[in-house]
Amino acid sequence: MAMVSAVSSDSGPSQPRLPGTPGKPAGKPVRSRVVLAMEGVTKSYPNGKVALRGVDLVVPEGDFVFLVGPSGAGKSTIIKLLIRDEMATKGVVLLDGRDLARLKRKEVPRIRRKIGIVFQDFKLLPHKSVRENVAFALEVTGAPRRSIGPVVDRVLRVVGLTGQADQLPGQLSGGEQQRTAIARALVHNPRLFIADEPTGNLDPLISWEIIQLLLRINELGVTVLMATHNAEVVTALRKRVVALEDGRVVRDQTEAAYHRED
Amino acid sequence: MIAFVAFSLRRAWQGLWHNRLMSVAATATMVLMLALLSGLIILLTGLDATLKYVEQEVQVVAYLKDSANPQDVNLLETALGQMPQVTEVSYVSKDQALTDFLGRHPDEAEVVNSLPTNPLPASLQINLRDPNDYLDVAAYLRNQPPVDRVLNIKQTVDQMVTVIGILRAGGIGVLVVVGLIVLFIIVNTIRLAVVSRADEIEIMRLVGASDAFIRWPFIFEGALVGLFGALITIAVLWLGQGPITTVMADYFKVLPVEASATVGRDVALVVLGTGVGIGVLGSYLSIRSYLIR
Ligand SMILES: Nc1ncnc2c1ncn2[C@@H]1O[C@H](COP(=O)(O)OP(=O)(O)OP(=O)(O)O)[C@@H](O)[C@H]1O
Ligand SMILES: [Mg+2]
Repeated sequence: MAMVSAVSSDSGPSQPRLPGTPGKPAGKPVRSRVVLAMEGVTKSYPNGKVALRGVDLVVPEGDFVFLVGPSGAGKSTIIKLLIRDEMATKGVVLLDGRDLARLKRKEVPRIRRKIGIVFQDFKLLPHKSVRENVAFALEVTGAPRRSIGPVVDRVLRVVGLTGQADQLPGQLSGGEQQRTAIARALVHNPRLFIADEPTGNLDPLISWEIIQLLLRINELGVTVLMATHNAEVVTALRKRVVALEDGRVVRDQTEAAYHRED
Repeated sequence: MIAFVAFSLRRAWQGLWHNRLMSVAATATMVLMLALLSGLIILLTGLDATLKYVEQEVQVVAYLKDSANPQDVNLLETALGQMPQVTEVSYVSKDQALTDFLGRHPDEAEVVNSLPTNPLPASLQINLRDPNDYLDVAAYLRNQPPVDRVLNIKQTVDQMVTVIGILRAGGIGVLVVVGLIVLFIIVNTIRLAVVSRADEIEIMRLVGASDAFIRWPFIFEGALVGLFGALITIAVLWLGQGPITTVMADYFKVLPVEASATVGRDVALVVLGTGVGIGVLGSYLSIRSYLIR
């Protein structure tokens, strides 16, 4: 419980040493905000399957974290807990200082807007254009109609899709579809950007483009958490790597490589 | 608030339009079911009118003594008229009885004319509000001095009451069963329409839409399907009104019962209410499982 209070949004000098915080030597009091923290998190699904066992994970603001591990290790489960699609069976999940287990149902949508998320299947609406798909995220969250256009233009510029704004997803390449999804995930200025296998459906070259885009988003100050099987990318980037196996964190290293064993 | 309603309506309309096939299927189902329901209601209204008529036909007939004092008869008639169970009392004199008899059996005229006196008694014919009161009224009459005897049709009345009871209960039973089937089918059709849009709902949740923003467009959509379904059904019934009333009028001609003038309006209201109500309920139930747990 001590740790839980320590990683709350106004964490004091007693903050635990955070792995993977570049440029912040240990010992010196840091006042960096923690975007997400999990402590002793266990998740068993209703069918009895235990997907996570005692997971501890702290991600400070501005980090770029790869979540790796064999299929079924629990990567997507962690993500489902973070967007509060599922609830932890045991342990605490904090997002931007809020305990997700104590969140009222009404507060959930607001918390979700602090997260931008993309998946392997881009989850675009096929009958809406790129622009409409992106605007959709603002419309359904009650943004005033007049404010929508400028935001959409801005995020389309970030992902470089201004020219394709009026095309339908079916008329786009896989990479462009994923960039549309990324643009949509950016409309609420998220504090945390989550990508679950974002390059799973893309060929290597296009995958690199997407990774470059995620790095840029990270440079803009957004914390990025990316679950992936792509060892090449992970190894090349030398970022923080959290490895899961059978629901446990087996490795948490900065500037790490990743060699697949599965 | 107004912006929210406008948003929901716009989304509902878009939803209907983008999923035309589903919308048409749902509306068609709605029309079929509502037509079935209203047909049944019209039939049952006819049945009920018939039963009411049959019930009103139950008469207690009390034959009066030839020696009865006319004043006593008058008093009895008045007393009966004031009983809550009684709707109408009519006095049939001996002469009237004879005329009626001859009217029904003209062949017997000679026999009757050969008799020295009129053998038929005068009587009181009492119409009842409810055939179940037959025994009470009959018992009351038996104790009245001017009354000679009360025509005993207890068994007939009992049988009739039983049959009418069964028919009424059966009608309501059929209506309830059909109503439930209609509810089930429509709710499931709408559920299909909602499930076919699970992707859209998932995206809404992921980008942080609140329950209200997810739910209301679908509820409006259900209401619109119900409204369209109801309007089409009413239009169909309106067009079929001619043939239907001809059949019904023939039927009602046999029975001198007033066909309730408001049947049409009642059915239209039921269709409209049921359509919109089930549309909303169907959406509400279908969308529930997609909201935040
Ligand atoms: N809704 C669910 N109900 C029951 N079991 C589930 C559910 N979701 C996931 N699991 C199980 O939990 C375990 C972890 O699944 P998870 O999806 O988190 O793995 P993952 O690391 O994302 O795998 P992959 O790399 O294949 O995406 C798996 O064994 C999976 O079968
Ligand atoms: Mg996964």
